[in-house]
Amino acid sequence: MHNQLTLSQKIRRNKFLYLLLSGAVLWTIIFCYVPMIGIVMSFQDFNIFKGMFGSPFVGFKHFNAIFSDPVFAKAVVNTLYYNSIILIIGFPFPIVLALLFNELKGRFFKRFVQTVSYLPYFLSWISVVALFYAFFEMSGPFNDLKEFLVGHEIERTNILMDPDNFVAILFGSHLWKNIGWSSVIFLAAIAGIDSQLYEAAKIDGCGRWKQMIHITLPGIMPTAMIIFILSSGSLVSSNFEQVYGFQNLYTMEQTQVVNTLVYQLGIQQGNYSLATAFGLAQGIVSFLIVYGVNWISKKTSQVGIW
Amino acid sequence: MRTSFGEKAFRLFNIVFMIFLCVITLYPYLNQLAVSLNDGQDTIFGGITVFPREFTWSNYETVFSNSSFVGSLVISGGRVLLGTLLGLILITGAAYALTKKNLPGRNFLIFFLIIPTFISGGLIPLYFLYRYLHLMNNFMVYVLPMAFVFFYMIIVRTYIQSLPNGLEEAAIIDGANEVQILTRIIIPLSMPVMATVILWLAVTHWNDWTTSLYFITKKDLYTLQFVMYKVIKEAELVNELAVTQARMGGGGNQAVAVTPESIKAATIIVATFPIVALYPFLQKYFIQGVMIGAIKE
Repeated sequence: MHNQLTLSQKIRRNKFLYLLLSGAVLWTIIFCYVPMIGIVMSFQDFNIFKGMFGSPFVGFKHFNAIFSDPVFAKAVVNTLYYNSIILIIGFPFPIVLALLFNELKGRFFKRFVQTVSYLPYFLSWISVVALFYAFFEMSGPFNDLKEFLVGHEIERTNILMDPDNFVAILFGSHLWKNIGWSSVIFLAAIAGIDSQLYEAAKIDGCGRWKQMIHITLPGIMPTAMIIFILSSGSLVSSNFEQVYGFQNLYTMEQTQVVNTLVYQLGIQQGNYSLATAFGLAQGIVSFLIVYGVNWISKKTSQVGIW
Repeated sequence: MRTSFGEKAFRLFNIVFMIFLCVITLYPYLNQLAVSLNDGQDTIFGGITVFPREFTWSNYETVFSNSSFVGSLVISGGRVLLGTLLGLILITGAAYALTKKNLPGRNFLIFFLIIPTFISGGLIPLYFLYRYLHLMNNFMVYVLPMAFVFFYMIIVRTYIQSLPNGLEEAAIIDGANEVQILTRIIIPLSMPVMATVILWLAVTHWNDWTTSLYFITKKDLYTLQFVMYKVIKEAELVNELAVTQARMGGGGNQAVAVTPESIKAATIIVATFPIVALYPFLQKYFIQGVMIGAIKE
C-alpha cells in the first residue's frame, strides 16, 4: 500500500516531519556549510573591501608561510608538546579513578566522592582559570601552605607567571577539571561486565587484585580504545579556552599554540587569510590523526569508531 | 571470605585517597567563598582558609551595585532562557522526525547533519559570516549559533526510538493527528531525556565566554563569564568596580575595604553559584545523557 505512493505524494504526506526538520537543516546550512566556503580565503590574499570574490588568488603562499616562519613553528611545537602530555600521560588517570571508585564500599561515601569529583567539569574554563589564579595568588592558599611547611623566610611567588610551569599548569588544571567526569564512562563499562566472570574467578581463587587485572581491565579495554581514538584528534588542537585563559603578560610569548595564534592573527590583527590557512591545516591534520589511529586500532584490536 | 592484610591496606589507602581528592577539588572554591565574605584589606595579609576572618558583605554589595555587572547577569540569564528554548525546539523536532524509518531522504538528511561534526571552516570564516548576518555586537550571536547540537539530537532520537511502538498506533486509532501525537504522547514520555538536554544546553550557554571575546565589543552585551574573564585578566574593570564602591561609600567610611582580590572572589562565586548550587541535585540527568550517548556509540 505504502509502496504504491509516488515520491511527491510521500513527501506531501510527511510535510509535518519535514517542517520539524527544517530548523536543524537550515541551521546546519547557515552555520556549518556556508562557513566552509570561507576556506577559499586561505588560498587568497583576502581583502576585506574586495570580498571573497574580488580578492586575488595566491595558491599555497600562506601554507608555505606556516612552515617557514619560526613563530608558527614554535606554536606547532608547543601544541604538540602540551597536547601529547595531556592526551597520553593524562589518559590512564580517569581509568584508575574508575577502578578505585569501583572498589569503594560505603554507598553514601562513594556517592559523595563521585558527586564532588564530577563538579569541576561543569564549571566554565574561565571559572577554573579564575580559581587557579586565586589559589596561586601571592596572598593565596598555595603560598600560605608553602610558608606553613617551609617557614617565614620563603619568598611568596606566583607560579603562573613563569612560562616554564605552563605545561604543568595545563596538565594539572585539565586533570582537576576532567578526571572525575571522564571516569563516568569507564564506570559504566565496568558495570556492564558480566558478574558471572567474577563469580568464576572467585571460585578459582582469584583475589580482588587478580580480578581487576584479568577481568575488569580487559572488560573496559574496548571503551578505553574508543575514547582514545575520539580524543586523538586533539593532539593538534589545543583547548583555546584553557590555554588563552592561563596565558598572561609574562607567559604569552613563550606559550602560543595554534588556536591562540589563529585568534591573534585573524581577529586581533586582521590577517585573515593566514589565520584561515593555519586553522585549515590544523583541521586536516587533526582529521588525519583520528583516521590513522582508528586504522591502527582496527588492525590490532578490531575496535574502531567507523 | 577473610580479607587479607593487603586488601585492608588497599581499602584504607583508597579511602584516604578519596578524601584527598575531595579536599583538592573543594578547597579552592571554599577558599574563594571565604575570601569573598572577608574584609578586602584583611585578605591581603594572607592566611585565609575556608572561614572568613573579618566577615563582611561589602564585596557582594560592591559588585551588585555596579550596573554593568548586574547587566551582564541579565544578559547571561536571558541567553540561557532563550538559547535553551530555541535549542530544545530544533533538537527535539529533528530528533522526532528522524525516528521515522520510512521518511523519504532520512539517511541523506542524517548524513547531511553529521558531516559538520568532522569538518568546519574554522574561526575566521565564522567571523565574516557573523559580520554579514549583522550578528556582531548583537544579542542573538549568543543564541543562534548554538541553536542546534547534533550530539544532543542523537541522544533524544535514541530515547524516542526506545519508546514502545504501539503507543503511536493506538493514538492514531483514537483519532489523534500528528501534532497531537508529538505534543501529547512523545514529548511527555521523553521528559527524562528532555531534562538532560535542557541542562546541558543551559550549562553550555551559562559557561560560554569566548563568543563575547570574539564577537562582542559593546560593554552592555557582556556576559557574566566574560566579565569574570575581564576581572581576572584586566585591571581596568576591577578598578571601575572599586571606584564605584569608593563613590558610594565616600564620606561615611574612611577606608575603602574592597580590593581587586575580594572583587575577583565575589565575581567567581556569583558566576559559578547556579552550577554549584543546582548540580548536586540534578546530577542523575547529566549522567543519563552520557549513558544514552554511550549506547549509541
